[in-house]
Amino acid sequence: MKRSGKSNKRLKAAKELNTIVMDFYVECMQAKKEGKPVGWMPPMNGAIEVFYAMDLQPFFPENWSPVCAAFGLAPTNFEVSENMGYSMDLCGYLRNIIGYVNGPMQDGDKTLGGLPEPDLLLSPGGGCNPVMKIFHALERRFPNAGVFRADLPQVAVEDIKPHHIDYAVTEMKRLIEFLETATGRKMDYERLEEVVRLSDRSCELWDEIMSYRKHKPSPFSAAEIGIMFVMVTRQGTEVAVDFLERVLEEVKERAETKIGVIDREEVRLFWDNIPLWYNMGLFNYFEKMNGVVVAETYSAAWSLRLGTGHPLEALALKSLKSYPMVSCVSIDKRQEMVLKACRDYSIDGVILHRNKSCVPITLGQMDVKKMLEDELGIPSLIIDADHMDERNFSVAQFQTRADAFMEMLHRKKME
Amino acid sequence: MHMNKVSIQPFIDSVNNTEKITEHVSKGKPAVGYFCNYTPVELIHACGCIPFRISGGPGPLARAYDLLPDFICPFLKRATERAMNNELSFLSGIIQGYTCDAACGVVNVLEKNISGDVFEVIPFPYSDNPDSRTYFRNILATVIEQLERIGGSFSEDALLRTLELYDDIRRILAGFYDIRYAGRLPMSARDLWHVIRAGEVTLPEDYLPMLVSLAEDIRETSEDFNGRIPVLVSGSLVEDADIFDMIESFGGRIAADDLCTGLRSIGITGALKEGEAEGDPLNRLIDYHFARVPCPSRARAEDRLYHLIDGVKRSGSRGVVFLHQKFCSPHLSDFPFLREKLRENNIKTLQVEMDETWTSSGQLKTRMEGFFEMLRESI
Repeated sequence: MKRSGKSNKRLKAAKELNTIVMDFYVECMQAKKEGKPVGWMPPMNGAIEVFYAMDLQPFFPENWSPVCAAFGLAPTNFEVSENMGYSMDLCGYLRNIIGYVNGPMQDGDKTLGGLPEPDLLLSPGGGCNPVMKIFHALERRFPNAGVFRADLPQVAVEDIKPHHIDYAVTEMKRLIEFLETATGRKMDYERLEEVVRLSDRSCELWDEIMSYRKHKPSPFSAAEIGIMFVMVTRQGTEVAVDFLERVLEEVKERAETKIGVIDREEVRLFWDNIPLWYNMGLFNYFEKMNGVVVAETYSAAWSLRLGTGHPLEALALKSLKSYPMVSCVSIDKRQEMVLKACRDYSIDGVILHRNKSCVPITLGQMDVKKMLEDELGIPSLIIDADHMDERNFSVAQFQTRADAFMEMLHRKKME
Repeated sequence: MHMNKVSIQPFIDSVNNTEKITEHVSKGKPAVGYFCNYTPVELIHACGCIPFRISGGPGPLARAYDLLPDFICPFLKRATERAMNNELSFLSGIIQGYTCDAACGVVNVLEKNISGDVFEVIPFPYSDNPDSRTYFRNILATVIEQLERIGGSFSEDALLRTLELYDDIRRILAGFYDIRYAGRLPMSARDLWHVIRAGEVTLPEDYLPMLVSLAEDIRETSEDFNGRIPVLVSGSLVEDADIFDMIESFGGRIAADDLCTGLRSIGITGALKEGEAEGDPLNRLIDYHFARVPCPSRARAEDRLYHLIDGVKRSGSRGVVFLHQKFCSPHLSDFPFLREKLRENNIKTLQVEMDETWTSSGQLKTRMEGFFEMLRESI
């Protein structure tokens, strides 16, 4: 096994996904050429639906980082940002995108056609500290972009009260006003309702697709988790819904005909935290020991329904819940979700990625570990790594720990 | 420095032992812990509770690693270690304004692992506008509910009295800073650090007379301490004053700061304005929040730069020492921009990262020596 490597995918939809990814970035550049305003924003909030409803082009710097990891651009980007003075201890997303916009992008890099400069920046107050700092740096790099200083309560999902929702709705309205002024386009609220309906439909499909992984054998593994690209970049569009419907069809068929990921699925695993984007092949590593990663925490960020009828409230709630649900903002909720997933998906063992690039998702893992042992008797393995920076990942250490863990799980199943 | 002409022993005693606080607790007054300056200590106090800033202090780590990864700041790791060693068992819980992700996460982790009745992370708004202020009042109401749950009781009159108490404290501390900017404060950086830290672990009504007495002494003994190279120290929490001694041992004088255990703790920019004493006390608390010396967790580096340049100018500092806790994401993220802008203003900088031992390596001493030589040559 190498430190970096692509995953071995089994779904036919994986090929289609490549086209969807390419199309998205082509569309971003095309929008720029055609004078359609391009806005850079963080993912996991309701701004994407607002953008699609107003026929504006959203772009997600965080999502560009996995692309950089897959195309081998990350080391160059790290070198640029670290030379600027950014510490190696900072989040890899932050170092990567700051490095990219101040390095390869300035030098005319054309990976996936290149990136369009932003006309608008949705600079968050809320979410995690690194994402806020990413946007502060982008404001400096793109001084001509119009900046919306967003605000979102950082509140645990289980503690959300009407005043949090009211404020988040107010912020959605403020965003729309800002966009109307900045672009001269008016929001069509009927169109917004339709976009929210599509967004909700994609969440419904997402949940349905994931639920087929409860089948034994599981029709697909975490190696295919790249399908979340449409949830990050295309939520609220027919593109996402159509793609997910096809994925569902394929997954359903595989589940019903008992086509699994490998011939003998013996050990079912759960993955906590962001994958190693530069080494998605790591998910396949467990397969040689008849293990399949059948569920993960990260995909739960899109496992929420958007009530229709009150689109702004639906988007406000989506914004309030998405990130806290998978981070240390809501450790209680996260524990509850992991516990439920382990029951529902018949999990034998849990892999906790202690991710140097993500403090918010890593904090609370030890409590998750303890709870799994105490309440379900499920053992877990901690892997020290980093979702972006392969320098923080030791293959030898991973293999030693993973092999011993899998052996133990097999023994446990025999007992 | 050795111009210890005022006695700060009462402040050192307050920092080093919590007997007075535990005595109050034993008489039924709940104590509530917090990590960051952004926590509304005034509200905690006005509800009849004791705001107590949790420190980590230098020391080993063992039990904290049962709960936390190693890549969060030494302060929060050490604070967790202390909590797990029952050193904070007199607290009724922790109330913490959302500043950094790690602090928020640690509150939630501790909720699951130590005893206590209230664990609350306050989701402050980032924007200041009429809607955010309405929201702000609602979240303060939630904090009051939590405090009442542990035996606290709120009234606007009590909050008004508390605000005035803290304003008196902040005015005196701001006065010390003015004297320090002028190079005439007869206290070492270690001393001033003790004075400020004492205020974080002492009831304000006990702390104010200590400060008044100190202020009188300072007036009697102030003299010129120029001759050393003035520098501004920027960072988060300083958990051990040895690093200040080291700066002074190389001929430096800490003339200004931008520290959580310094200027940001005093928050002087939000002090009560004349004529506002009759204003709605919750609004005054909100005014104070938005006028704080900004923390990188909640503000842009550009907003912090203003305070840094101002501090440098007012104190005549020749350079800035960035004193960062290892893994402190907000401060480390702001550093490249701040360094660049300070350089553009011809202000030299040195970055120092500290771990949980707060010990100074030989390499650090060499770098520090080199930095002060460079500053000396540039005069």
